[in-house]
Amino acid sequence: MSADASDLSLVRRVQRGDKGAFDALVLKYQHKLVKLVMRYVRNPAEAEDIAQEAFIKAYRALPQFRGDSAFYTWLYRIAINTAKNAVVSRDRSPVEYDLDRNNNDESYDMQGRMKDSETPEGLVLTDEIRSTVNAAIDALPEDLRTAIVLRELEGLSYEEIAAAMDCPVGTVRSRIFRAREAIDRRLREVFEGGLGRAEELG
Amino acid sequence: MNEELDSQLSAMFDDELLPAECELLARRLSRDEHLKARWGRYAIVGAVIRAERGVRLNAPLAGRVNAVLLAEPALAAHTAPRDRNQVRLRWWQPLAGAAVAAGVATVSIMWLRAQAPLPGQLVAQVTPPRQASLPTASSPGQGDSYIVPRPKPAAVMVPSTELANYVVAHSVFSNPVTRRNLLSAFMTSEAPATGTQEPQSNVKAIAQ
Repeated sequence: MSADASDLSLVRRVQRGDKGAFDALVLKYQHKLVKLVMRYVRNPAEAEDIAQEAFIKAYRALPQFRGDSAFYTWLYRIAINTAKNAVVSRDRSPVEYDLDRNNNDESYDMQGRMKDSETPEGLVLTDEIRSTVNAAIDALPEDLRTAIVLRELEGLSYEEIAAAMDCPVGTVRSRIFRAREAIDRRLREVFEGGLGRAEELG
Repeated sequence: MNEELDSQLSAMFDDELLPAECELLARRLSRDEHLKARWGRYAIVGAVIRAERGVRLNAPLAGRVNAVLLAEPALAAHTAPRDRNQVRLRWWQPLAGAAVAAGVATVSIMWLRAQAPLPGQLVAQVTPPRQASLPTASSPGQGDSYIVPRPKPAAVMVPSTELANYVVAHSVFSNPVTRRNLLSAFMTSEAPATGTQEPQSNVKAIAQ
């Protein structure tokens, strides 16, 4: 089993001109990347902007990516550099930033809030996702819950989980899949049930 | 949706799928929107379990990135052959670099030598011939005396020292072997010389 093989398959497809494969990489790593960037900036909206910039930089630099390191290591490095540069450039012009804020009227704040998606609807939706996923995890049978938590929280490989749970690797794969399916089913019920924002799940 | 396919997708998400299967699934994933949405939800589940609280899980970041990239041209379709070329080029780069460095060093040495006489040469010319200052013969009535030969003036070493310093200062542009050859050539060229100039053709030969 080759580590990072799935990322590399997607990367090779992007390098051959398949933009859809890059979508999959963004979907997979967007949360991790935003979380990483938030070590440097507190504002979630700013963190998202930086993460977006990092993804775009990564896309443009992908022709030079040879796969010597794991894709996510390479991507994280780009994100960290982008975040550091953003912090430096922001710190260099704090006066301009303040002036801009002071000179603009109230509409600035409104636009800023809308852009940040810090609307009550957005926050409720976020909480709802969390509570749905957490409730679904709690409802899982013990062996499925242990498998998915060991994978997602501890970052263990299937082989390590198999050793920890004293079962074959194939069983681990099946348990993690079934856990995800159960959680996913609950998520789809929530989002297809009326909020009408299933398209934003990705 | 095929359960086996979904199971493979879950394994691929965890980097636990065989590379050959990854290739096939990656192709399908890049085109199938339903599969991609499921893939995105797997990422959300992971984010919630890890309690990535700073992240707004409904953030349409992927959509924003996608919108920007729509305006971008697709990456070159023949990256793989270009990689092979790059590998081949990378193999030749040290040799090409060494050749360029040697050429630069040669030109620099020739240029330095062609400039106004170096300090060492001036000293050598101004210094009167050593024989003139030495007593040639004992005068009658004077006792024999032994003359201790003076050490060579340090100024004679200046040209090579300067050149050596120059080479060391520009060592970034030359490889270690060429640099060592040049430095040793300077030292050996000074041994018989008393301020005489080394033939440029020799320097060129050494540098190359």
